[in-house]
Amino acid sequence: MLSRFAESFYWLSRNVERAETIARVLDVTCTRTIDMYAGGSWAERSWRTALALGTLSDPQTTFVEEPAQTTVLQRCAFDTANPSSIASSLSIARANAIGVRAELSTEAWEHINELYLDVHAQTLATVTRDGPSRFLRRVRDRAQAIAGVSDATLLHVDGWNFLQLGRYFERGYLAARMLATMESMDDPWPEWQRLLEMCCASVPFARASTHQPSPRDAVAFILFDPTFPRSLHFCVNEIEAALHRISGTPFRSYGNDAEKQAGRLCAAFNFTDISDVFAEGLPVFLRRIVAALEELTFAIQTIYFPRIPTAIAPMMRSDVLIS
Amino acid sequence: MIDVVQPPEVAGVYDEFLLDPLTPRPEYARLARTLAALEHTELASGVHAINAALIRRGVTFTVYSEAAGTERILPFDPIPRIFTYERWKHLADGVAQRVRALNAFLCDIYGAGRILRDGRIPREVVQSSSLYVPEMMGVRVANDIYIHVSGIDLIWDSNGAPYVLEDNVRSPSGISYVLENRDVLKRAFPRFFDGYHIQPVDDYPLRLLRTLRESAPQRAVNPTVIVLTPGVYNSAYYEHAMLARQMGVPLAEGRDLIVSDNVVFLKTTRGLERVDVIYRRIDDDFLDPLYFRADSSIGVVGLMNAYRAGNVTLANAIGTGVADDKALYRFVPDMIRFYLSEEPILHNVETLDCTQPKVRRHVIDHLERFVVKRTNGSGGYGMLIGPASTQSERNDFSRMIEADPRSYIAQPVVQLSSHPTLIGDALVPRRIDLRPFALYGKRIDVPPAALTRVALREGSLVVNSSQGGGSKDTWILAS
Repeated sequence: MLSRFAESFYWLSRNVERAETIARVLDVTCTRTIDMYAGGSWAERSWRTALALGTLSDPQTTFVEEPAQTTVLQRCAFDTANPSSIASSLSIARANAIGVRAELSTEAWEHINELYLDVHAQTLATVTRDGPSRFLRRVRDRAQAIAGVSDATLLHVDGWNFLQLGRYFERGYLAARMLATMESMDDPWPEWQRLLEMCCASVPFARASTHQPSPRDAVAFILFDPTFPRSLHFCVNEIEAALHRISGTPFRSYGNDAEKQAGRLCAAFNFTDISDVFAEGLPVFLRRIVAALEELTFAIQTIYFPRIPTAIAPMMRSDVLIS
Repeated sequence: MIDVVQPPEVAGVYDEFLLDPLTPRPEYARLARTLAALEHTELASGVHAINAALIRRGVTFTVYSEAAGTERILPFDPIPRIFTYERWKHLADGVAQRVRALNAFLCDIYGAGRILRDGRIPREVVQSSSLYVPEMMGVRVANDIYIHVSGIDLIWDSNGAPYVLEDNVRSPSGISYVLENRDVLKRAFPRFFDGYHIQPVDDYPLRLLRTLRESAPQRAVNPTVIVLTPGVYNSAYYEHAMLARQMGVPLAEGRDLIVSDNVVFLKTTRGLERVDVIYRRIDDDFLDPLYFRADSSIGVVGLMNAYRAGNVTLANAIGTGVADDKALYRFVPDMIRFYLSEEPILHNVETLDCTQPKVRRHVIDHLERFVVKRTNGSGGYGMLIGPASTQSERNDFSRMIEADPRSYIAQPVVQLSSHPTLIGDALVPRRIDLRPFALYGKRIDVPPAALTRVALREGSLVVNSSQGGGSKDTWILAS
């Protein structure tokens, strides 16, 4: 497929996934801070975490003295100057969707367009009137519907493969960034519960647990559970699979730099367990993974969306003879 | 209950729906009964649903003059226009004849130049056209087809006689509205269709694809076809995307293409892929900065070389615009006689040649009676409607015509036919035209998919979407 289409599909799904995740983070934070356990500093910390996640790619991150619902919602949901906000993510997603509109199904395009129109018709005032949760859940659900509709209506060829690549890349990347916001393994359990909810892992984790859960188990679940579709392990496997479907290179080998790096990332999860992570130190491990993911996205761009010049060599008006 | 009994706004206007102020024409009788059984609120809520659907689907065009990113829907009128098969057949034959003659004309002027030597058309009228491309002299295009896609604008005068208002042989747009209008009308008002046998419009993209494939360079066995768009900010981008999607071909921009050794390639994730046919929706001027406007950032460097070498087909061909230069319009009936040895099926609107001093004097002295158009203009821009003009507009046009008579033509005002149209919650007559499309591959094809445009302002004769026009679903009855 056209390189430009591949690039648009990739960024389209990364930004839809981001909007979904930021909506979930904000929703969890709004809801949990309403009846938060004693001590105001925990609430402030929750908002600080939400703000950090919702401004990940904002070069102009400014320090907020006492982050609270109003400021964080404005900044992370509606502020179009913040490229990570829900509104910005959906603008980017839609702009990319327009660029590949001829490649998208009607259903996929209409879901993207409707979500964009909905979010851009709202303001902080309109959504707080009914409680922000109603709006944030709608964003989350509709973003998930975009993924579902794409799976169900597009040919599972290159365009869809780049959607998968973008979706699992963003999901894994954000999961790593969420884990990195935890400050200490000694934080009280509600803090870990909040993390699990932000990662959409609360019930899956409970279901998978066989004993009284510990923070260590929560970290292990988000990092390694091979069946949880939001664990880092699951995400890197999907990234590798998408890359191999795109190139046709057999598994356990690589045909380009992106596949090589993805293979190494998979190995890091397939042949590591939670004791290794704590032996290395969780923050160090996460920094290494985030750096590897950032390097991988660079490799994907270089291979599949290269900036080919507009002309191969200097060209002249033709001397083709016209008979 | 909805009545279609209002008399036309101006005496002497032909109404397409009504035979006389109280009686619908036979083909409209059934629709009139359906409308009569409808409540006003049903019509209003149906239209509301249609507009919401069009916004959701993003069937929008960009308004350049307004704040960045303003997207509008083309106003849709729910009252369909109906053609009997016989009436349509006559028009389709006339359109096909006209396009064959225009194509033969292009073949001739970029080749032997018989019609010029013969003196039927003055050489300087052709060569002074800003749309004439001398680089096309002697280039053999595949199958000798220049005009793969065209749209011929037709109007009806006060006697109900059809006339060709203008030929559009560059990149006529509007077909996406034909397809969308039918789709939304079927969903919103399925009952309108009761008792009618209407030819479907939705095979247009397939017919277009066949036309494009048939036009491939001979070497190409299984030709790769693409649509080339100026990009997402073009006002017709929606249409480009819709056609590419339904034909199942890539919608490329100039930056997605590269020319190497006079061959055009797509930049894909698997490397370069050869292109055989380009349905281009970019004007000649912007196609190749090497030959045309050097500042074009939407074109492809070297495309003209590849084209001249016969390695790629462009639809439409480069240089076709000269055939719809309005200064050549008055010669089209002669072209039909010269190339086809036939009498024109569809007539021209009387057109005055402002380069003749006497005629020019007459036009300038009676501007209030004429419609004056720029010869290279389109989209309803740069036009004077005499009866609706102010003295200062007429003064401006007098000056412009005197300064550059080659660039203007004058036509007597034709009272376009009217059709009941929903304004507010009443049906009132509004002026309309018709744009049938012709596809020309190995043979000529006029699909039963035509666009009716309607001037929504009372008394207005200008139907262009850029000038406040809307559109209607257009039904061609099966034989």
